[in-house]
Amino acid sequence: MTETNDTRKLRGEVRDFLAEERARGTVLGRPDSWLTGWDPDFSRRLAGRGWVGMALPPRYGGGGRGFAARVVVIEELLAAGAPVSAHWVADRQAGPSILAHGTEEQRQRFLPAIAAGRCFFSIGMSEQEAGSDLANVRTRAERVPGGWRLTGTKKWTGGAHVNDYAIVLARTGEHEDRHQGLSQFIVDLRAPGVRTEPIHLLTGEHTFNWFHLDGVEVPDDMLLGQEGDGWKQVTGELAFERSGPERYLSTFPLLVSLTRELRRGAATPDQQARLGALLARISAIRQLSLGVADALDAGRPADVRAALVKDLGTRLEGDLVHEVRRILPRTADTGATPGSYPHHLAYALLHSPGYTLRGGTNEILRGIITRGLERQS
Amino acid sequence: MTTTLATRVAALCEAGRLAGPGPFAETVLGHLDVVLPEGPSTVAIADGLSLAYAHPAVTRVGPIGTSGQDAALRVSGTLPRVPYGATSTVLVLTEGPRGPVLFPVDPARATAVPGTNLAGEPRDTLQLHDYAVAADDVRPLTPAELAEAGLRAALARAALIAGAAERCVELTARHTTTRVQFGRPLSHFQAVKQEEARLIEESALVRAAVDAAARELSPVGVAAAKAQASASVAEIARIAHQLHGAIGFTQLSELRFATTRLWSWRDEDGDESHWTALLGRAALAADDVWALLAV
Ligand SMILES: Cc1cc2nc3c(=O)[nH]c(=O)nc-3n(C[C@H](O)[C@H](O)[C@H](O)COP(=O)(O)OP(=O)(O)OC[C@H]3O[C@@H](n4cnc5c(N)ncnc54)[C@H](O)[C@@H]3O)c2cc1C
Repeated sequence: MTETNDTRKLRGEVRDFLAEERARGTVLGRPDSWLTGWDPDFSRRLAGRGWVGMALPPRYGGGGRGFAARVVVIEELLAAGAPVSAHWVADRQAGPSILAHGTEEQRQRFLPAIAAGRCFFSIGMSEQEAGSDLANVRTRAERVPGGWRLTGTKKWTGGAHVNDYAIVLARTGEHEDRHQGLSQFIVDLRAPGVRTEPIHLLTGEHTFNWFHLDGVEVPDDMLLGQEGDGWKQVTGELAFERSGPERYLSTFPLLVSLTRELRRGAATPDQQARLGALLARISAIRQLSLGVADALDAGRPADVRAALVKDLGTRLEGDLVHEVRRILPRTADTGATPGSYPHHLAYALLHSPGYTLRGGTNEILRGIITRGLERQS
Repeated sequence: MTTTLATRVAALCEAGRLAGPGPFAETVLGHLDVVLPEGPSTVAIADGLSLAYAHPAVTRVGPIGTSGQDAALRVSGTLPRVPYGATSTVLVLTEGPRGPVLFPVDPARATAVPGTNLAGEPRDTLQLHDYAVAADDVRPLTPAELAEAGLRAALARAALIAGAAERCVELTARHTTTRVQFGRPLSHFQAVKQEEARLIEESALVRAAVDAAARELSPVGVAAAKAQASASVAEIARIAHQLHGAIGFTQLSELRFATTRLWSWRDEDGDESHWTALLGRAALAADDVWALLAV
């Protein structure tokens, strides 16, 4: 992606907006704010500026601006540590997915609400026995008059306790090839038979849930895409999910916090060089990531490049935390003043297990990268 | 004496494995013939306190043998992040006006600001405002005794790290042999095996350095052990978490008891920068760098 006058203008607007939000006290520069920064009012104000559902067509209430513009906004929000988790999945995944696979009725119903920051989604893919092996999902959808009955338990479902809908991957048919017979459903999280149970992070934070579906009735018109196409649809989503700025910027706010701290005194040449080395790496990964966004905009396949960005980027997210600690040793402390360097250091560190797992683990991604190599040769 | 140290260090490794505190104070003070006070006690090796004699003009000969004063002290300043500091007798080791001293602090007579480390272990900050220490409670130390306490504290912490690292290996091995994905235990996959091997290596490295330092206490040995223990933490916790998958990131798994301790303990009693700098200085001061390692 090359910066144009348009993207520069957009960046400027987002930065002004963020400055206002900082003054309100909503943007605290916290690391990993796309996982735990849940602030529906912030999401709505962002949507008010046209920055949610930006890539959706205007006839569905979207901005019609393409992925590149969306990336500009996302980069700015993540680097600032803005609380974007409420609308995150709706904006990144559910919106594009409903646009691509949904019926006209589904598009009209959900897309304008998503773009308005009034409809929040969860991802209901993983289960106890279906982590990396996603095709192993056991949640069943049985035909009933007028629709489907869903039974099973999803695990690690982020935000299921606070969001409006989940896109649930369920088995609709038995096949020898496990990748067949899977379908996606839009499930109302307030429907009878839906029950969520918290799974607390090691920090005590609540974002994950057990998401029980005890015979939840889902009307026919909430099947997303074609029956049996679930696997194809899910893997299609993953290119979007894998290559975005959130795959290398989750801990960038800690770097911001570090530089603020270093500016108070005189940084040693060693500190300067180490800080510079981190920036060099982030900058290179960013270019790779932007290349994927361009490919997606142009409709070119990008699954291997996306996997590569995610492996490099998420490893950097973790390495950055340890390197920042080396550059400026302070006791990481969740009890420190919120917004302070020791506080950011603590959360960036305590969230580090997640970076290289979510959205497909790095081991699985490396498999995709080397299989891509085999395809080429 | 050295066997006692090795035994205590082994006990601390076990405590680290079980995520408990272990005989920390006993190990740090093992070279001094002090009787630990009744009830829980903890150690703080402090700098930055200000100490003054309480009775500089008393004319009798005081217990420390200096004429014209007794050993009673007035102490002000901060003891930062003392383990269990708000609920234990704190045995403070520090520089006094006439050389190093050891004295107990009762947290009830100080201002305690409770805090925790990343594992939730109490790390309480104590503010002393003109805190009075009776003459009988002041134990003078030689500079060598104070220095040795610092080494013992670092070694004790490194031993806790070694134990927690072993716990990471245990839990990860258990998880990868029981968790099935794609119809096979995780331990079947090459990528998992490779990472698990690195985890085992890194943990063995720490334990070897700790055991060696415990056999023959020396500044270089302890510096090498604590530096390596602290430096290995990132990789040990990273691999253990990665191989656990999402469950390790949550309270559904015990792994956090080990890894959050590792992330905190690497900073406590001197982080790797502190101890590697000491090693570097020792190397520069030595005639023969190799002889520094192979004594
Ligand atoms: C922060 C976070 C947020 C998440 N949010 C959601 C959500 O909202 N909705 C949802 O559905 N899911 C969510 N997940 C779940 C996520 O998709 C899974 O954690 C991920 O797919 C891995 O599954 P697992 O945790 O069961 O690990 P496992 O699959 O059990 O893997 C454990 C380890 O084994 C390795 N491994 C497994 N199979 C192989 C293999 N064949 N070859 C080599 N190595 C292998 C893995 O790489 C990993 O290191 C989230 C996870 C995290 C950490």
